[in-house]
Amino acid sequence: MLELEKVLGIAQKLGAEYADARYVSTKAEPIFLESDGASSVSTSKSTGVGLRVLVDGAWGFASTPNLNERSLGQLAKEAVEIASASAMYKKGEGTSLDPLPSINVKYKTPVKVDPFSVKAEEKLEYLNDALSEVKGMPDISRARASMISYTEEKVFLSTDGRKISQNLTYTGAGISVTARGPNDAQSRSFDDYASSGYEFVLDLDLKTKIQDLAREARELLNAPVCPEGVTDLVMGGSMTALQIHESCGHPVELDRVMGWETTYAGTSFLTPEKKGTFRYGSPEVHIVADATIPEGLGSFGYDDEGIEAQRTDLIVDGIFQDYLTSRELAPMFDQESNGSMRAVGWENLPMIRMTNINLEPGDWTLDEIIRDTQDGIFVDTPKSWSLDDKRLNFHFGQEIAFEIKDGSLGRMLKNSAYTGMTPEFWRSCDAVAGKDEWKVWGTPGCAKGEPVQVIHVGHGASPARFRNIKVGVEE
Amino acid sequence: MIGKEDAFKVLDRVLSYGEGVDIAAHLTSEDISLTRYARNQIHQNLRRENCHLTVTAVKGKKVGAASTNLLDERSLRWVVEQAKESMELAQEDPDLPPLFRAEPAAPINTYVPYTAQMTPSERALGCGAVISAAQKEGILASGTYSTLVRETVVANTPGTRAYNVATEAFFKTVVESGDNTGYADRLVRDARDIDYDQVAREAVERALLFDEPVDLKPGRYDTIFLEYAVADLIRFLGYVAFSAAAKQRGTSFMATKMGQKVMGDNVTMWDDGMDTRGFASPFDAEGVPREKVVFIDKGVATGVVYDTRTAAKDGVTSTGHATSVLGRSQPMPHNMFMATGDSSLEDMILSTEKGVLVTRFHYTHCPEPMRVVATGTTRDGTFLIEDGQLVARVHNLRFTESMLDAFSNVEAISKDARVVKDWWSTFISVFPAVKIKDFNFTGSTTF
Repeated sequence: MLELEKVLGIAQKLGAEYADARYVSTKAEPIFLESDGASSVSTSKSTGVGLRVLVDGAWGFASTPNLNERSLGQLAKEAVEIASASAMYKKGEGTSLDPLPSINVKYKTPVKVDPFSVKAEEKLEYLNDALSEVKGMPDISRARASMISYTEEKVFLSTDGRKISQNLTYTGAGISVTARGPNDAQSRSFDDYASSGYEFVLDLDLKTKIQDLAREARELLNAPVCPEGVTDLVMGGSMTALQIHESCGHPVELDRVMGWETTYAGTSFLTPEKKGTFRYGSPEVHIVADATIPEGLGSFGYDDEGIEAQRTDLIVDGIFQDYLTSRELAPMFDQESNGSMRAVGWENLPMIRMTNINLEPGDWTLDEIIRDTQDGIFVDTPKSWSLDDKRLNFHFGQEIAFEIKDGSLGRMLKNSAYTGMTPEFWRSCDAVAGKDEWKVWGTPGCAKGEPVQVIHVGHGASPARFRNIKVGVEE
Repeated sequence: MIGKEDAFKVLDRVLSYGEGVDIAAHLTSEDISLTRYARNQIHQNLRRENCHLTVTAVKGKKVGAASTNLLDERSLRWVVEQAKESMELAQEDPDLPPLFRAEPAAPINTYVPYTAQMTPSERALGCGAVISAAQKEGILASGTYSTLVRETVVANTPGTRAYNVATEAFFKTVVESGDNTGYADRLVRDARDIDYDQVAREAVERALLFDEPVDLKPGRYDTIFLEYAVADLIRFLGYVAFSAAAKQRGTSFMATKMGQKVMGDNVTMWDDGMDTRGFASPFDAEGVPREKVVFIDKGVATGVVYDTRTAAKDGVTSTGHATSVLGRSQPMPHNMFMATGDSSLEDMILSTEKGVLVTRFHYTHCPEPMRVVATGTTRDGTFLIEDGQLVARVHNLRFTESMLDAFSNVEAISKDARVVKDWWSTFISVFPAVKIKDFNFTGSTTF
């Protein structure tokens, strides 16, 4: 804390109007296990400091793993030099931030069993138990299991007087099974992650799940390919979660709207004049950003600008209401930041990122939705995803699908996919399953920014139905 | 930068802590400086330095690993002990090859001091050239200018020692004229090779070419792909088909079609880590010198890249394409090439009665790896060709097509090739522009 205060002091002496510094120390323990016996147990640590400064209305950021006094002094000098170069091309007076009240707070992820207190042997045994269920099974050419334990100690200080210490933890695990036939290979998988302790991993019950996945992978080898056509689409919860991520979560990032991601992640069709009036989806569609949900993979205490985690309505009764924002961009709507600035590790600058972006539960059940569907397909588990640079035109492939005929699930189908345009798709949503089938799915690999930052986010979702969707779109 | 001498001092200490256990150490040090500008102003600007030391401990058929970004004595001892502890916990892996001494790789000069020493102001002036060009036309420029210095050092107890230092400068821009956009980039070792004005001209001209985009009905069209777009098409092959791991798992066409015709006679693709026309690097993550591997020879499937683990399984030697020590991740191509032809962009356009020109792609993916069926949308300049001329800008299109089918229908290949990155930045490669007959577009972005 003392070193960070010194760094902020040096930056201010060198001309910074505002500065914030983050010390972050991370520890990760990924474990991988293959059915042929190959295993990988490893531990990684990363520690350093990132410093962000505002000089003459322009931003500079520098980071270093060297924590001695001389290096940190050099860090401040570099960040200010970089910001001064940014000021060569700024708009008008540049950026200024409204001051925040000073605070001194701590936050810790609620955890029952610290995942680092569990020996790696026990974790390996848990994964091996699951894989042993499919060893020697005909057609199964490969089965894999994995687990991640992650913790992060973070200290944030700003020249506003914000002092925030956080200890964030998440865990997760997954399994995948590949069946191989003479001319085809089909895979089924499951994985999930949460801001939680080892108890979350145990509750995943991989041993039971892998048996179903192996059976389905084998059946997929002989299943017909999903036919092309326009039909009603019913999604399982994991597919709904990815649909929310890609075609709701990303378009509402205000930095994309302002063109800040033009050269890599892309922009957004959701231009500012649409705020408050644009029909994004049907009245069934209510989407929130909520960084406060227990166990949500996108939950935390404070974002990386020192703003408290919060819940924000993004889409209400199908009407677009709000963006994910930052201290710099929220004032364009006379608002305050809704706490969406996050950075990966110490080495990266914070950007507007998703937290937990959730489709609120409806009042159907999946059974009711299927019984109510005359002709359609049920799809689940994302296999591929692709969207255009404005997040309008999308194409998603799935691991598994089933025909729906006259209110019942029919034949299994392989290589299913569907495509559409974001607002048209969400406007066609006419049924969302309720609380009993709603859960927060952990998505650990959301990429954005340059250098790219891969961050973990969450999506509350349940099964849902969309009318008249183009499916089986290959040729 | 750590420097060769100091880097080996660190790794020698790491190896000495093995105490009877074979150790492989892999150290990378990266110094990245990056300036991003959006709509004519710099909005993000940074320098990031870090290193990554991974230690792999091997005893018999057991292997474990640990990594750290700190190189002090305490951290070095911790990382070795942690790797040994992980190794003890691991299950016996019957396919685990032993560590061995890799032959020294021939040195390549991949370091340019000018690039390494660029200042934030120099990068800003480069960005400013594009911003000024856009402002002259009353339009908006966004882009990224990054420079990178990367050291890679490998050592193991059997005696492998390898060191390389490389620089990279990547300058790219998207210029917006209303909803119309244009793209250009340059990727070089020596930042002095970037002509900022030329990049600006290319992107601005592309953004200003034609006014309102027209709708194009999805269907099959003769399509010309600039080198930027070819990078994304061949990325799929590199990612899902050209690795020995995919062949061995049976998830790639290489598992069943080796030696068979899979593409057109005019298509040859290979990887050559030592060819400095691309982004050469002399050795892989195991310190093994890179060999040239031909994937497709005149349309026939001929080879895949190996690391020591996959090589042992097929009874061959590593081709120097390991991405980790002893196969914790799969071998991958590194510096891909496609053989050039005798055409030019102008000739391709002139020879097209009705077709499409694609500048580049966005967020592509591969829903069906066996036939390498890929999908993605075009961006930053998609144009309609009629009677040998560009006649209109079209709304962005979605393609869904098997890359085996696409590269069986190559009608023309440019005589020049250039260094390009795919949108995902998975590979840096050297590719020509190509014209493909009856390429399948399955949708259009209209809203």
